[in-house]
Amino acid sequence: MKWRLAKRDQPLRGGQVRAFAVGLLAALVVGAVLLQLTGHDPIEVYRSMFDSALGSRRGWSATLTRAVPLGLAGLAVAVAGSMGMWNIGAEGQIIAGAIAGAWVARIGPDLPGPVLIPAMLIGAVVGGGLLALGPAIARSQLGVNEIITTLMLNEVAIRVVRYLVNGPWKDPAGNGFPVAPELPDQSSLPDLFERANIGVLIAAVVVIGVGVYASRSAWGYELKVAGASARTAEYVGISLKAKLLTVLVLSGAIAGLAGGIELTGSSTRLVEGVANGYGFAGIIVAALALMRPSGVAVVAVAFGAVQIGGESIRTQGVPDSISNILQGLILFGALVAAVWGNYRLVRPSSGGGEVAATEGATA
Amino acid sequence: MTPHVALAGAFRDGNAPAEPPPGGDESAPAVELDNIWKRFPGVIANAGASLTVRAGSVHALLGENGAGKSTLMNVLAGVYQPDEGTVRLDGVERRFGRPVDAISAGVGMVHQEFRLIPTFTVTENVVLGAAPRSIDRADLARQVAELAERFGLSTDPDAEVWQLSMGERQRVEILKALWRDAKVLVLDEPTAVLTPGEAVELGRITRSMADDGRSIIFISHKLDEVTAFCDEATVLRGGRTVASSLDVADLDGARLAELMVGEATEVSQRRERSTPVDESTDPLLRVESLTVVDLHGRHVVDDVDLEVRRAEIVGIAGVAGNGQRPLADAIAGLTPADAGRILVDGKDLTAAPPQLRNRAGLAYVPEDRLGVGLAPTMDVVENSMMRAYRRFTKRLFVDRGRAGEHADELVRDYDVKVGQMGAPLAGLSGGNLQRLLVGRELDGDPSVLIAAQPTRGLDVQGVAAIQQVILEHAERGVAVLLISEDLEELFALSDRLLVMHEGSVVAEFDPDTASRTDVGAAMAGAVGTATDGAVSTEASS
Repeated sequence: MKWRLAKRDQPLRGGQVRAFAVGLLAALVVGAVLLQLTGHDPIEVYRSMFDSALGSRRGWSATLTRAVPLGLAGLAVAVAGSMGMWNIGAEGQIIAGAIAGAWVARIGPDLPGPVLIPAMLIGAVVGGGLLALGPAIARSQLGVNEIITTLMLNEVAIRVVRYLVNGPWKDPAGNGFPVAPELPDQSSLPDLFERANIGVLIAAVVVIGVGVYASRSAWGYELKVAGASARTAEYVGISLKAKLLTVLVLSGAIAGLAGGIELTGSSTRLVEGVANGYGFAGIIVAALALMRPSGVAVVAVAFGAVQIGGESIRTQGVPDSISNILQGLILFGALVAAVWGNYRLVRPSSGGGEVAATEGATA
Repeated sequence: MTPHVALAGAFRDGNAPAEPPPGGDESAPAVELDNIWKRFPGVIANAGASLTVRAGSVHALLGENGAGKSTLMNVLAGVYQPDEGTVRLDGVERRFGRPVDAISAGVGMVHQEFRLIPTFTVTENVVLGAAPRSIDRADLARQVAELAERFGLSTDPDAEVWQLSMGERQRVEILKALWRDAKVLVLDEPTAVLTPGEAVELGRITRSMADDGRSIIFISHKLDEVTAFCDEATVLRGGRTVASSLDVADLDGARLAELMVGEATEVSQRRERSTPVDESTDPLLRVESLTVVDLHGRHVVDDVDLEVRRAEIVGIAGVAGNGQRPLADAIAGLTPADAGRILVDGKDLTAAPPQLRNRAGLAYVPEDRLGVGLAPTMDVVENSMMRAYRRFTKRLFVDRGRAGEHADELVRDYDVKVGQMGAPLAGLSGGNLQRLLVGRELDGDPSVLIAAQPTRGLDVQGVAAIQQVILEHAERGVAVLLISEDLEELFALSDRLLVMHEGSVVAEFDPDTASRTDVGAAMAGAVGTATDGAVSTEASS
């Protein structure tokens, strides 16, 4: 008798929460064994992780700041995912947004901050959207798989930013480092508290706003129908082509905004590593949110806390590798848990009950 | 368009059955299926079906949808194991536990849906799973080409399958069977996907295989092909063999149609009509010279005219795949019309998108209820609001409260048994799905309803409930176009009955006076034999 997984007709009620708790606990137990074996006190390490991420105002400011790019990238992936598309190109779109934002600052370095910052952010949104435009057209008009096109454009974006900071935009005063010149002072986002700037508010408005809009509006409903069944969508008159096009461009634009906020917030200049893997982490965020835009905000903050906590323990002698494994375990446990609620274990009954009854009826 | 008719006999003349193949009992038939029973939950697919096929002959297996043809052939091919009955090849009893047992015993089957790998070449597909140990590709390709040439199967062994037409793909399937040295080859409705020219080619190929001593079982419900391509015919009805090994030369279309459809044993329960159809009003649905051409260039709907008046139910009969589905899809706007016009209540909607047609009063219950009509992963409320959500939307946001009330109303009014309103639809039974779908489509007080196979696969109660709903709405003035493969249903509900064959409307009947045999003959393409009840019979060019 083999056990196998079967999809539930309907998700277990409240199962999601229980599953998360179990997944997290399992990850922490495995992590504890690992820490013990490498000579660390698991309790101490976990407490330190929690304190540095969520135990103080300073910790919260770091966590929320980290949640900004994670949340926007996660939202970008989830918006596309809610209609069954995979935008794997958020990383490149973040870079494109940052390049576009930096370009705005280059042409208007003397603009006052209240003008320059919005202009840079709008530039970033346009930049991210433009990078997604090609894949969006190819997908909606020709049916070209967007996974491949968006993924490949990551490489293009990375090389373009590398070229810029090594070539035409290279800072002459940068001591030979491949960085762009410092941005004008007034282009920095104002502080909010501790280490956080108002980028946190902008991202919160966008992530929560789009999340609510996607789950409550007619537009979001149409996305859901299109994602659930393309033929049903066509049957009720939802234009699939238009939806595919606009949603993928919107997805790119949201990722671009993440690049703009990183540029005007956390960093002082355009560097090659501006996207820092957030675009790929966004895929995990979206998966943890079960591709629901409305779930991204909470997941992004939790993910940010895990990252910040994981990074902080490195200062206490826990090696990078162990810290990374811990973060990975927690995310893995959560991810398994997120999907787990939809399945149950069954033991197949004996006999050849697998013959579909309908086949006989239509013989 | 019935080009096959002209070919009747073209391939039989002068072709005496070849000598039986070496080995085995030479006097025994190549295939004997004796008293086969096969039951599925709720359905008896084969109830004592028998079939005897001579070596070196092309044998037609005829029957309506649901007659048990595919089940019987799946028994022969080892896909199903019979509950009772015996399978004998060349006089030797066989038990096939798996398809591979049947293949090694020399039975090959070409299914309706081809089982080919599109990115593999013809050669790779042919030898897949049956290649010799050392694979020299060039050598294999040469062998496949030789085999193809021997049977007149023109094909390029190095072409990749995705590049091929449906007819060429079918030849690859046949080659696959020949490569495994199939002595018995089953072709399941082989001409359904072919152009007329390709069908003629197939006739030639089957003949050359029969001349080689092989036996071909040709599943069909097209009488003209049977007379053109086959030597003998066996007819199934309701899972039983009603006529076996008839000589095709002695057959005429009317006789075969009668065998397939059966004599009307009881008078169909005609519905009570309280509001007679008013012939003087303009039709609510008018279709003029509608033509739909598919991707392969076939006219799947060919110059169809029809009208449905207020409170009228017009039935469309036809064997599956004769253009009913593209006709319905074209009227609903899911398939573009290549020629002709579609008018609802006098409004030309030929080029309108589906939601405009819906707003103009056109409701559509599609044949594929769970793939098109409903989204299985979405919940009851979300599925209920598919037509009405724009009405529930205020300032961009959908009023979920109203949508929920609306869903509650549908579920109550149409007696849909649901668990939770928030649960995905996939858990509902077919009858409940259809009640929800029909209810949703009739909810906006439409003037025209297109109902495609609305009761197919439902249990008795479900059938009655759906038919009742359709009747009630017709009484209230809805013009109904009822597409069905169930003659009982069409006779019971329709005011007028049209028959589609190969994309055209070939005959019209008055259900009160027509005989089912005549309707069946028209369905099978035997136009001209329909006499008594026929109101008019269009010439089939």
